[in-house]
Amino acid sequence: MAQRPEFFQVVKSPFDGTEVVCVKALVPDYSIIHVQEADIYGNCRILGPNYQDALLARAAKKTIITTERIVGTYRMQEEPKLTTIPHMLVEAVVELPGGAGHGICWPEHPEVDWGTHKQYQKAVKANEVPQFAAKMLEGRL
Amino acid sequence: MKEKLMPLASAVKLIKDDMLIAMGGNGMHRNPLMFSLALTQQPLKNLKICGAAPGIAADVMMASGQADTAYFGFFGLENEAGLAPGLRQAMEGEHPRAKAMEGS
Repeated sequence: MAQRPEFFQVVKSPFDGTEVVCVKALVPDYSIIHVQEADIYGNCRILGPNYQDALLARAAKKTIITTERIVGTYRMQEEPKLTTIPHMLVEAVVELPGGAGHGICWPEHPEVDWGTHKQYQKAVKANEVPQFAAKMLEGRL
Repeated sequence: MKEKLMPLASAVKLIKDDMLIAMGGNGMHRNPLMFSLALTQQPLKNLKICGAAPGIAADVMMASGQADTAYFGFFGLENEAGLAPGLRQAMEGEHPRAKAMEGS
């Protein structure tokens, strides 16, 4: 708390005067989230763990979605409780199969592509990440 | 509801200098990595990255030098992938080019 006064402050509770710690909220301009299924309006389903993604989408001013596939809105209407991120939080939907790159995206990409990850590690050391990216993006941008 | 489909090339143009960006996923899992890689092809600077456990997509922004600050609880790739090489490179040495705000 003492090290990060820009994030943590102690104030008196307006209810009973006890000391409470306030934590400053980060408000991202955009959250960027890759999902397995989205419709054209930005209603999204995440298959498997959500991590903090539902919170990130709500904390940010707007969200950009990349999705493994576009699904019909009827799927969202059939099971509305499975919608992790609703359309009103979303500004852009990009259909981008393999959008998690050489990382994991269940069920289509269950493992890290270690060969490509080694190339990434080498690119970082050589300060050549934009060149690595250009190769990965060939034909997709 | 409004249709929001757009190509990757248009979506990356929504991101501007100095913005605070939250990257989804965790470690090597379900990261928006291709989007991050597309951002490296843009002339962006002074981005700030945040997340509870940012992973490979955020690491790319640190490695490219386009992000100068990361706010996080834990920043790594986990398991066999280990440390985040881009963040490490950006904050190591006498003249680090990025600030790591752990526990923020």
